[in-house]
Amino acid sequence: MIRYLSRRFVQLIPTLLGATLLSFLLIQLTPGDFTDRFILDPNIDPLQLERLKTQLGLDKPVLVQYFVWLWHLVTSGYMGESFTYRTPATGVIVPLVLNSMLLVAISTVLTYLLSIPIGVWAATRKNSPGDHVVSFLTVIGVAVPNFFLILLLMIGVLSLQPIIRATGGNTDGWLSHLLGKLAYNPQLGLLFPVGGMRDNDTYDAANWLGKIKELGWHLVLPTLVITASSLAGLVRVVRAQVLDFIQMDFVRTARAKGTAPRRVIYKHVLRNALGPVVSGLGTVLPELVTGAGLVEFVYRWPGITPAFVAAIREQDLYVVMGLLTFSGVFLIVGNLISDLLLLLVDPRIRYQ
Amino acid sequence: MGRAVKHVRRNRLALAATVFLGVMYFLAAFADFVAPYGESEAYYRGAIVRTYAPPAQLHWRDPRTGGFTRPFVYPLTQERDPSTFELVYKEDMARPFPVQFFVQGTPYVPFPLSLIPEGWRQATGFQPQVSWHLFGVAKPALVQLWGADQLGRDVFGRILFGARITLTVGIFASLLTLLIGVVVGGISGFYGGIVDDVCMRLVEILITIPSLFLLLALRAVFPLDAKSSTVFFIMILILGLIRWGTIARVVRGQVLSLREEEYVQAARGLGARDGRIIFRHVLPGTISYAIVSLSLLIPSFILTEAGLSFLGLGISEPNSSWGLMLASAQEGGIQTFVSRTWLLVPGLFIFLAVLAFNFLGDGLRDAFDPKARK
Repeated sequence: MIRYLSRRFVQLIPTLLGATLLSFLLIQLTPGDFTDRFILDPNIDPLQLERLKTQLGLDKPVLVQYFVWLWHLVTSGYMGESFTYRTPATGVIVPLVLNSMLLVAISTVLTYLLSIPIGVWAATRKNSPGDHVVSFLTVIGVAVPNFFLILLLMIGVLSLQPIIRATGGNTDGWLSHLLGKLAYNPQLGLLFPVGGMRDNDTYDAANWLGKIKELGWHLVLPTLVITASSLAGLVRVVRAQVLDFIQMDFVRTARAKGTAPRRVIYKHVLRNALGPVVSGLGTVLPELVTGAGLVEFVYRWPGITPAFVAAIREQDLYVVMGLLTFSGVFLIVGNLISDLLLLLVDPRIRYQ
Repeated sequence: MGRAVKHVRRNRLALAATVFLGVMYFLAAFADFVAPYGESEAYYRGAIVRTYAPPAQLHWRDPRTGGFTRPFVYPLTQERDPSTFELVYKEDMARPFPVQFFVQGTPYVPFPLSLIPEGWRQATGFQPQVSWHLFGVAKPALVQLWGADQLGRDVFGRILFGARITLTVGIFASLLTLLIGVVVGGISGFYGGIVDDVCMRLVEILITIPSLFLLLALRAVFPLDAKSSTVFFIMILILGLIRWGTIARVVRGQVLSLREEEYVQAARGLGARDGRIIFRHVLPGTISYAIVSLSLLIPSFILTEAGLSFLGLGISEPNSSWGLMLASAQEGGIQTFVSRTWLLVPGLFIFLAVLAFNFLGDGLRDAFDPKARK
């Protein structure tokens, strides 16, 4: 197994290199570069601009720049300097990547954990009212644009604001009292936080448990939205797969043998049905990252995408490259994990 | 093919979806006629101010007699609410303005002729302008059926104009993606060997980069402040370049098995060139997959275009796109939406369009499914 994995890993390295080269060339295709913004400034001397260009390495031919960057990356992990912030790009990128990964990882785990039971449940009750409800929800879930959904949720929270704020006052509704107890911030009237990753004052003042609580509150809405979109798609796949396998002869045999129905499903059907689902992690993950991107943007979660959009506007070359490389690595790790899971689930592959 | 159409016709959801889409396309084409006001006709200063005006209230009963009469609207005036000090719109009950049909309004170039590019029309001096609109009211009243945005532009009209962008970009981008995917997959699967390895490696590289980032990077290659008509073509191009990978993979798989068929051997024996074999004999076998993919790509491209416009990198002012309408409304802060729910209508339409294409795609997939009992 280790040999299989390391073989796969080695196969993926040229892909990663190709991806970084492609990204580099793409960025270089953008007309002009970072120094262009200073050209119109009358205070700046053209000679200074030339020196800046040399300093940033922007005067060398494109491929040379790429290999210089690659060399630095491989030998010392140095990804170049962010032009906007004049600090090593790694310092700018790593916190962003960690933030995004937090969101994406939690959403992925939740998606898989929830989709399998729900898909199985719907498949075993095909055409029952419960199944129809699930089908209806998945159809809706796939069609709703996720930036719209997060917008709707944030609006919902903001519309509940006056109701919750009044709990300290003299409303006598049981609903507002209940919401006030459950809410994130009853004084402001927020049921859930509507933006950002944490409130710096509360975060700094709290102990480690308080910090986790604060992060947790802020995670609720975005995770909900990201999970919902991918859940809808995955539930459909799981349901279809289970339905396919439930009709097979070996299931009938198992049932005739007298095996308990639950064991039939979880031991016989799922092992076969989940093969494509599990190996699909490699393809689901990029979709998740993309979906998380827009949600991050609306919710102002300090992740990759808002910074990516800003960096592209500023033509901050190495930040963009760094973000693309990190996301490429992340996806490749995801692919490896899905291969590993496939190995575990489907013994036929082990003996190839 | 006819069998597939019959199957879709029996599927009621797919049928409803097709009808809905047909209506949307029709309305989008004739948007200038159906909408009472122009795409960027703004009312935010001067005699008539309608910033964030609520949807127009259509009154059906005559206030004096209480009977049914032709629908009419009242002009809106802005007043300051004494308790909250906000500017509120009140109806001026003194002067009713009846809604009239087939009125003269803002001039425009009518539908089939508006497809001719602006440049050509200006060069030849061919500017056929028509002013007929389906309905309208006399100024200073405005019949903004779904309210107005922050510049006082009619949301109803902008939705129809935005439909043009959303519905066409989706289709053209999908066609482009399909074209690239099928050609690359076909060549890769047919020749095998080095060509296949290189192509599939390229596809893997493409899939490794998350599509959103690839899209943003590609978008940045072109000037960020280009005119909307140019952005339209840019968007089709870049959308077409991001998703062909999966299509190429599947087509390659199908071609790998199809090329062993006897008719391919026969064609080769008769001396057909490789290109002819691929395009005339092998690829037609992939057509059912192609049609299904097309109908499933379109909704994903609609969502992507909306997302891109939402980020401000797609269609820009003064043209309208559903994503752009949501983004402009969000500019004032999320709080804007709480008291002005009509600004969320573009999101609803994105949802409906995607839903309709999904139903259609599912219907087509069931129709082409060999496992279904016919």
